[in-house]
Amino acid sequence: MTRHTRILMSVIYWAFIVYLFVPLVLMVMMGFKDSKFIGFPIRGWTLEWYTGIFQDAEVLSVFAYSMTIAIASTALSLAIGTWVACFLGPNRFRGKLIVFALTCLPAVIPGIISAISLRIYARALDIEPGMLAIILGHTVHNVPFVALVVMARLATLPPSHIEAARDLGADSIVAFFRVTLPYLIPALVGAGIFCMLLSFDDFVRSFFLGSYEPTLPVLIFAMLRSGMSPEINAISAVVLVLTAVLGLWAERSMRRLNRGS
Amino acid sequence: MTEAAAKTEVTAGETIVHLERITKRFGAVTAIDDLDMRIRAGEFITFLGPSGCGKSTTLRILGGFETPDEGRVVIDGEDVTARPPNRRDVNMVFQDYALFPHMSVARNIAFGLELKGRSKAEIVEQTDALLDFLQLTGLKDRMPDQLSGGQRQRVALARALAPDPKLLLLDEPLGALDAKLRGQVQVELKQIQKRTGKTFFFVTHDQEEALTMSDRIVVMNNGRVEQDGTPEELYFHPQSRFVAEFIGETNLIEGIARGGDNGSLVIDWNGVDLHGTVQGPMPDSGASVTAALRLESVVCHAAKPANGRALAGRVVSRIFKGSRTTLDIRIGEEDGAVVRAYMDAGEAEGIAQDQLWVSWDSSRLSVLRD
Repeated sequence: MTRHTRILMSVIYWAFIVYLFVPLVLMVMMGFKDSKFIGFPIRGWTLEWYTGIFQDAEVLSVFAYSMTIAIASTALSLAIGTWVACFLGPNRFRGKLIVFALTCLPAVIPGIISAISLRIYARALDIEPGMLAIILGHTVHNVPFVALVVMARLATLPPSHIEAARDLGADSIVAFFRVTLPYLIPALVGAGIFCMLLSFDDFVRSFFLGSYEPTLPVLIFAMLRSGMSPEINAISAVVLVLTAVLGLWAERSMRRLNRGS
Repeated sequence: MTEAAAKTEVTAGETIVHLERITKRFGAVTAIDDLDMRIRAGEFITFLGPSGCGKSTTLRILGGFETPDEGRVVIDGEDVTARPPNRRDVNMVFQDYALFPHMSVARNIAFGLELKGRSKAEIVEQTDALLDFLQLTGLKDRMPDQLSGGQRQRVALARALAPDPKLLLLDEPLGALDAKLRGQVQVELKQIQKRTGKTFFFVTHDQEEALTMSDRIVVMNNGRVEQDGTPEELYFHPQSRFVAEFIGETNLIEGIARGGDNGSLVIDWNGVDLHGTVQGPMPDSGASVTAALRLESVVCHAAKPANGRALAGRVVSRIFKGSRTTLDIRIGEEDGAVVRAYMDAGEAEGIAQDQLWVSWDSSRLSVLRD
């Protein structure tokens, strides 16, 4: 690579970084603006919007609602995804590829299509729009991610470990809980955080499957319709920090996982 | 461990395992072909052979990881053929040790005891005894990835011994160790087997390992037993060409049987009469036979010995190997056959290049069955 291309490459890289972060920086900045309107010029600064959201009972309860959904759907996704991975991983059977493709499908279907179909399906099953419907909807979407990550980890588990457990007196269930599951922990942590982020971040499914009680993205959407306010910026900034921290932590766990234990 | 050894009710020498006419096929491949084998309590038995000979399959059938297509596995009088691994009094040391990575050394060793439902106090006591016995006490709280290869191997051994199995299976457990350590571990393993009085079923493709540790070696090839005997029997009296070539380096001497008696046979080898021994039926006079002669059994003389049986020859190649030297000796004329000798390097220096005599003890020239 010549010097010129190297310079060109790094200029493009930094331009991309600026393009990526300027909106985020602006968003966080506007949250500190001492005015009801978003936009320049900024004449004064305040912490009011940030302190405001931590005192706003509605925002807090919506946050709790979103967290509950994220945690519940993550727990369900982990259980089902692990089961699917353990079923698909070591067994060889006819049509395994088809079952595998079907498992991955919910991850690649466009969100809007998935959301509409889930809404129709939920109604057919007599599940009221609301928390349960959202949890189930998120779970359907998340299971493939869990299954893929767990399968990758499972593939690195030497079969002799299970055999050793069986040899030492464990039946297949005890061997699973005492040897396979502990081995999968790093994968489950990584997949779990990823599921939490997906669920917490999801708008389309939550919007279609929810009742009058909004999740956080739905609430922000509703607030936007009544006009931009720095409060939205403050909420978004908090969410941004939380998800970035979780995401980075997940990324680190995944990297540790790939190095093997 | 002495108490643990005493708990095994079977007295040494009795049959503890009987593999009754076992056949195992994988698709079109017959891994084990009608194997009938008795293993005596307290013996160190090694199944030796190249990869794919059926030795590992035999081990896995004993462990309960494979089910034979035909035949029965009887352990201590009980038919366990259909029993899963967790319901057999058999434990295994895996080739890769298979230590549980999320458990400490002590927890790994305690695993089998916990599943047997032993009390906490008992588990701690037995684990400590094993740690002490295998010199692992200081490593008790280490995790497997903090151990060296040799230490891992000992932990795997301790873990397999903990539930006090009637039979201990060892699947090439020294393969992952470096050559220097391997020699040391071979001696250790043999001592541990003697001290515990346990029946060890060892599987390897390494003939040196087999010779060093075993009370009895079973050489397998293509799913069948080639020979079953003590290391000495296998080494000096191989019964087949396969065994002769698989174990150690050997001279194969092909000639024509000229009769003999009492297990001793005269072989016509390019016009020279050789005396050898036969185990089993005598070959017919005039039949072509092959005999095995170990390199170190060939004795070289600088001067013609008084005994008339020495053969004259000359050195065609000489390879110095440190403490020993290998000599290739052509017997008789220009087109005579070559015999290889393996002798002390110092003595080899005293041997003239173009004139020497070779002889051997006729009991060392062992006629092969096929």
